[in-house]
Amino acid sequence: MDVEFRIRRFDGEKSYWQTFNIPVKRGMTVLEGLYYIKENLDGSLTFRASCRMAICGSCAVKINGKPRLACETQILEIGNSLEVEPLDNFKVIKDLVTDFEGFFKKHEAVKPYLIRKDDNYEEPVELIQSPKELHAYYDFTLCVKCGACYSVCPAAATRDDYLGPAAITAAYRFNADSRDEGEKIRLALVCGDNGVWRCHFAAECSEVCPKQIDPAKAVQKIRFKSAIETIKSIFR
Amino acid sequence: MWQKWFSVKGKSLFSIAFSLHRLTGVVLTIYLCMHLAYLTSIRMGKEVFESFIATTVTPQFLIFDILLVLAGIYHGVNGLRLILHEFGLTYESRKSILYVSVAIVLIVWLIASYRMYTFVMGV
Ligand code: HEM
Ligand code: SF4
Ligand code: FES
Repeated sequence: MDVEFRIRRFDGEKSYWQTFNIPVKRGMTVLEGLYYIKENLDGSLTFRASCRMAICGSCAVKINGKPRLACETQILEIGNSLEVEPLDNFKVIKDLVTDFEGFFKKHEAVKPYLIRKDDNYEEPVELIQSPKELHAYYDFTLCVKCGACYSVCPAAATRDDYLGPAAITAAYRFNADSRDEGEKIRLALVCGDNGVWRCHFAAECSEVCPKQIDPAKAVQKIRFKSAIETIKSIFR
Repeated sequence: MWQKWFSVKGKSLFSIAFSLHRLTGVVLTIYLCMHLAYLTSIRMGKEVFESFIATTVTPQFLIFDILLVLAGIYHGVNGLRLILHEFGLTYESRKSILYVSVAIVLIVWLIASYRMYTFVMGV
């Protein structure tokens, strides 16, 4: 069966649509379709991918208007004509490849690692955690940094410096970890002008996250904590 | 730039609710300014004010009033929904709460519109 791929391309100067018709077998993914085009029809088509199993987060693109991982989206589930575009809210470098530099910087900015007073790498100690404590944050560890959430966020659309759902979720993931002692530090980082208060609960991030980790929930939880801390600080 | 707040292609109902909230917020702010200017006209005398009332409380203006009330009710009810969620509460039920909010908006709006219709038409 032949399927039409309409791809929004960008060559560094101008953006244009190009159409390819490719033979599709049952089970074939959008990423395989892109590889087919690159190998057989147009070697200049540029896209990013690595693991092909929805774990590295490299291949997120807009497919028929919705951000998805190209490697876990089957072509025939979408239909027999597809529109593939780069993610919104990111600068396009070439074709489907967008600039993730700022996105990763924001992730780094929230200190996404355990902060402890007794850090001792020479003589590490095991940190015990109960299953209940694990599940308080486990879902949020599943983020693959694909940027789908950021690409649909209306706050990120008009503020380049907004930390965005993924970074704030990473902050929440560590704040909710019973082994961590850095909550105060991270709260100060995500509650500033470019943080949680920019969120207007459009909640689209949770709708598009391919890992269904509910970034919107993490943002609201941390926002509530931030409100409490601010009120407390008035009486201190 | 700001147009992106209102791009709803491919988005879920939650994003549409956000766009409408922003739109109605701006509409209400503009209306509030107009409304205050309108009320201030009483300082130019009772006649001026009453001539304003005579032009706006009319069947021709009814449609605008009905739309304004829709904007106000939507903004208010959706605003309460947002406050609830933004406190980190009831996140899991967000879909049903959105549907219930829309239903409340429509019911209150229909009742209000009927009331305004009978008042202006004098039936
Ligand atoms: C029932 C009364 C009202 C409630 C419960 C309410 C609630 C809210 C809430 C919760 C927000 C923030 C939403 C967010 O997180 O983005 C908001 C935004 C806003 N409201 Fe209201 N509001 C009310 C009445 C009004 C009135 C009378 C006006 C106009 C004078 C107004 C104008 C605005 C504007 C301009 C915004 C900013 C819109 C945005 O950021 O998207 N609101 N409202
Ligand atoms: S939170 Fe979800 S959508 Fe956002 S980067 Fe992580 S996996 Fe992707
Ligand atoms: S290629 Fe790694 S997530 Fe798709």
